[in-house]
Amino acid sequence: MIKASKLSVSLGAGQAVRDVSLLVRPGDRIGVVGESGCGKTMLGLAMIGMTPAAAKVSGSLRLDNAEMVGADEKSWQVQRARRVAMVFQEPMAALNPIKRVGDTVMEPLIIHMGLSRAQARECALSLFEEVGIPDPEARFRQFPHEISGGQRQRVLIALALTCDPGLLIADEPTTALDANVALRITELLARLARDRTMALLFISHDLAAVARSTEDMLVMYGGDIVERGKTAAVLSDPRHPYTQGLLSARPRPENVRETDGRRKRLPTIPGAVPPLADLPAGCRFAGRCPVEMSQCATVRPAEREGTICHQLEAAT
Amino acid sequence: MTRLPVNLMIGAVLVGLVVATAALSLVWTPYDHTLLNIRDKFAPASPVHWLGTDQLGRDVFSQLMAAARNSVAVALTAVFIGGSIGVSLGLLASAIGGLVEDIVMRLADISFAFPALLFAIMLAAVFGPSLTVAVVAIAFINIPVFARVARASANQIWTREYVFAARAAGMGRFAITRDHVLPNIAAPVIVQATIEFAIAILAEAALSYLGLGAQPPAPSWGRMLSEAQTLMYLAPQLAIYPGLCIVVAVLGFSLLGDGLRDVTDPRLVRER
Ligand SMILES: Nc1ncnc2c1ncn2[C@@H]1O[C@H](COP(=O)(O)OP(=O)(O)O)[C@@H](O)[C@H]1O
Ligand SMILES: [Mg+2]
Repeated sequence: MIKASKLSVSLGAGQAVRDVSLLVRPGDRIGVVGESGCGKTMLGLAMIGMTPAAAKVSGSLRLDNAEMVGADEKSWQVQRARRVAMVFQEPMAALNPIKRVGDTVMEPLIIHMGLSRAQARECALSLFEEVGIPDPEARFRQFPHEISGGQRQRVLIALALTCDPGLLIADEPTTALDANVALRITELLARLARDRTMALLFISHDLAAVARSTEDMLVMYGGDIVERGKTAAVLSDPRHPYTQGLLSARPRPENVRETDGRRKRLPTIPGAVPPLADLPAGCRFAGRCPVEMSQCATVRPAEREGTICHQLEAAT
Repeated sequence: MTRLPVNLMIGAVLVGLVVATAALSLVWTPYDHTLLNIRDKFAPASPVHWLGTDQLGRDVFSQLMAAARNSVAVALTAVFIGGSIGVSLGLLASAIGGLVEDIVMRLADISFAFPALLFAIMLAAVFGPSLTVAVVAIAFINIPVFARVARASANQIWTREYVFAARAAGMGRFAITRDHVLPNIAAPVIVQATIEFAIAILAEAALSYLGLGAQPPAPSWGRMLSEAQTLMYLAPQLAIYPGLCIVVAVLGFSLLGDGLRDVTDPRLVRER
């Protein structure tokens, strides 16, 4: 079980993650959505102890019973791969170009799990099979440039699974892939989480993929979790103005064409995520919010039923 | 397959020639290179003595061959020892960073600034001049060179995303250094080693010329050169032959190193 309480990541200019509280139980599948620059990656990195050197992490993060905020690299190393593992956006860059993909996956098995080379090979081959790599024996000997993007991402998922982690953080694992391949990787992640009762934190800005593969979801904006709840509930009945904006901005048939067949302009949330230093101290969404009130920019809204918004606060 | 650069090919041929000669001298030379034959001294080049004989009647060609062996052996040992220590220090500095990196690199700066010749003279004064002194002195000057190359290349590799991914998979600094960093800095290290080889051959010749390296009867191009110096007017060819050998060996390794650098330079690799 992983529990974050008031977890924050400060980066010189401001807070990329602000007071995030989160409980992850075995088998949970949690989607994380939000525009670029909302702190999704930074939250993931904080949960695996790999924030940039300049970042200051505060609050509390408990992996089972170990407090990891302030832990040194050595203690993190023990937890990584065993309790938390992470898969990144760019499968090509995340593989060493001069290493056979089989060796890449075998290394942690030998180093971490203390397996012999032969055992590690067996184990890595079965992982390849589990993540749906056809003809694992042949793939094993290939270099990253010899296999497709989808296969590379599967190799990296196998790498992340080597030490049977309790939580797998997948940071936009399908952004660099074709829609078709992306769909299958998304399904794979959901299946792995179910089969292994492994928790999955699925960071994505593909709402359809989140809808398909997760049960719960978080909406992040400016380092805050602005809304959380069951995925189906959030998607069908978004409450926070930011979530509403995000949902109406997604391409859907009724959004794309006018009734007379002309192309519609896709609705977007006006403006862009401001840089960290310019985020308002109160509600982070102040300044872009269509229903903003006078206190929004300066007063932090309290959480009500999974949402932080002054409007909803006032309504209850 | 693209065409290999000209410098690489010429370098490879010259290096091949030197190394093959050195290897051949282990099993065969026309004469025993130490065999004196005073009556036959200063013999001109002929089918009997291909490059003639020296002031003591020794076969010059056989001496050059045996000297090639010493040159290559000294350079190989010295560059290997200095390179291994230097690369290890550079990798260590890069893996740990912070204070350790600062200390290692400042030490490298200091030893880099320390005159190698002075070091060789000190060693020779304490232990007596020998090829071992030459090896140690040359190895010593190689340590900071390799430490710098290794650290600079390793620091680049440490920023790569696959290193990040390996860290996320729970691998520690030393495992990452061994499995990811070292294999990826092999190319610049090999290029540097080839260039250092050229410098080492020149250094061995210089040390032996100064009497700090090879001692008689151990053959050495540098020592042959210094012995021939007094006979310059009588028999200039005795200085020219070892001089040419030094030029060929040094040029060969330099060109090979340059060529390898051209081939392994990432900017050129991308074009292919
Ligand atoms: N290495 C870094 N140094 C300073 N600021 C950073 C760094 N990485 C990200 N940031 C900032 O942190 C904020 C959150 O970034 P990130 O977590 O990458 O967002 P997301 O993954 O949601 O797109 C952004 O404002 C970004 O500019
Ligand atoms: Mg991101």
